[in-house]
Amino acid sequence: MTQRISKTKRFIMMNPVIQFFKYIYLSIKILVVVAGGHGGTRNKV
Amino acid sequence: MQIIFHQTDANHFSMKCNAIILQLNNQPMAKIVILGAGISGHVAASHLRRKLSKQHEVVVVSPNSNYQWIPSNIWVGIGRMKSEQILFPLEPLYKKKNIGFKQAKAVSFHPEGDKEVTKPYVMVEYVKGEDKNNFEKVTYDFLINATGPKLAFDMTEGLEPGKNKAYSVCTYGHAEHAWHGLKELIEEVKKGKKAKILIGTGHAKSTCQGAAFEYILNVEQELRRHDVRELVEVTWIANEYQLGDFGMDGMLLSYGSNIMKSNEMIEMIFEDRGINWIIGAGVNKIEDGVAHYETLDGEYKTETYDFAMLIPAFSGHGFKAYDKEDNDITEKLFKGFMIVDADYTPRPYEEWTVQDWPETYQNPSYKNIFAPGIAFAPPHAISKPRVSKNGTAISPAPPRTGMPSGITAKLVAENIVDIINGKKTLNHKGSMGNMGAACIASAGFGMTKGSGVSITTYPIVPDYVKYPDTQGRKLGKTFGEIGLAGHWLKLTLHYAFIYKAKMKPFWWLIPE
Repeated sequence: MTQRISKTKRFIMMNPVIQFFKYIYLSIKILVVVAGGHGGTRNKV
Repeated sequence: MQIIFHQTDANHFSMKCNAIILQLNNQPMAKIVILGAGISGHVAASHLRRKLSKQHEVVVVSPNSNYQWIPSNIWVGIGRMKSEQILFPLEPLYKKKNIGFKQAKAVSFHPEGDKEVTKPYVMVEYVKGEDKNNFEKVTYDFLINATGPKLAFDMTEGLEPGKNKAYSVCTYGHAEHAWHGLKELIEEVKKGKKAKILIGTGHAKSTCQGAAFEYILNVEQELRRHDVRELVEVTWIANEYQLGDFGMDGMLLSYGSNIMKSNEMIEMIFEDRGINWIIGAGVNKIEDGVAHYETLDGEYKTETYDFAMLIPAFSGHGFKAYDKEDNDITEKLFKGFMIVDADYTPRPYEEWTVQDWPETYQNPSYKNIFAPGIAFAPPHAISKPRVSKNGTAISPAPPRTGMPSGITAKLVAENIVDIINGKKTLNHKGSMGNMGAACIASAGFGMTKGSGVSITTYPIVPDYVKYPDTQGRKLGKTFGEIGLAGHWLKLTLHYAFIYKAKMKPFWWLIPE
């Protein structure tokens, strides 16, 4: 096991208060990607 | 009403739509048959039922009596959720919503009917109830093939869920079985036994690395929770050339204020969790506690284990198709999976483009047949194909699970509704080269101790022309995050999508 995530970073990752705001932020960000639409890639002839 | 299409020229499509509309105008009802009730089939059925008036018939044919929210299987596989929490019976819901349901499996396709039946039909075999083993010709006006993949355990010698200490989490039944195997091992380790766990892909061409990735992180956390982590060696084995390939050629993603490659991110997580990895490995044989595999260097190696969870290869179901005269026309409908509006011209990796990927999931020979989700034949892989020195292809097949399944099913349903309502062109398109996906990978269960790796990718199939400097992806929409919020997100999605699947009030507001 090699520590690749610093203690500060780990604290941020697991702190419920910080993560609550992260949860809101991620929900919105993911919604933007997911609901951002989709379509074709071929040019209309 | 009779709809028979067998012209392949795409220019005739508009004319064919007119034919459909004319015939529908003569008949008050259209019958849409959906094969499969997984994510794709159920999404299509739900949207069709919501958008079509009751005079139109929606029928689902599936051998499974339950709907299961597959992404939560990994939690069943670590004993943190019961199967009942991730599934519900389909028949009562369909009855309530006026959707027909036949618990049967598709056997053969007859898109022109036959000498006795003039309408196109699918031959199905009932798997339960009084009609068990009886066959029926289920006629249709539109057919949605959402049969997903066949879990091809037989493609790897000795790989069978629950046999040779190797398990699967591909279905809730498999996941329950896996939990029993893991639980037994944890009990043995608690008594002092040292053990080895192997998780990853069980075939050189497997896909769905994401599920195995989630499972290995969850198992690792459970071992810590049971205070036995130090006695267990946990190893990842996969057909990926690099960690974090996920069958999507890896990705360059933004992580906080940094830009990092997905292999660097996954390497960081594995090292931090003390997980070993074997990559570029094509597992070809499983014996009791031994996995045999071939590497890209052409070496044949083995890895021992006390518990393994290996994702099998996915294959088509081997369906046959026949024309009106009973001639075999399977090659018009299937290429392993179902042929759709993709460009299947064989080309080298360097010449692949996003334009090769389908947009409407419509069969070019029979325009009233569609195949969203995993059921469509991809034009090629997404990851660069690699071959071992012995000539064995070892690289991931393209993933189409989860979000893409739902999105493509919805657009197929919308196009069918449009045709029924008189529109002449397919206006709803969704190429995986112009579609984003979110992968919320659980990295451990628990409201305060849990964790998740949230990754979004746009587009799923990299567009190296549009985004040449960022490995084919748009950086702002391709990002990764690790932390407790990821677990909460995954849990939210679990409840939200089961709510949606149960078609509760305003279910359609939840995106696919």
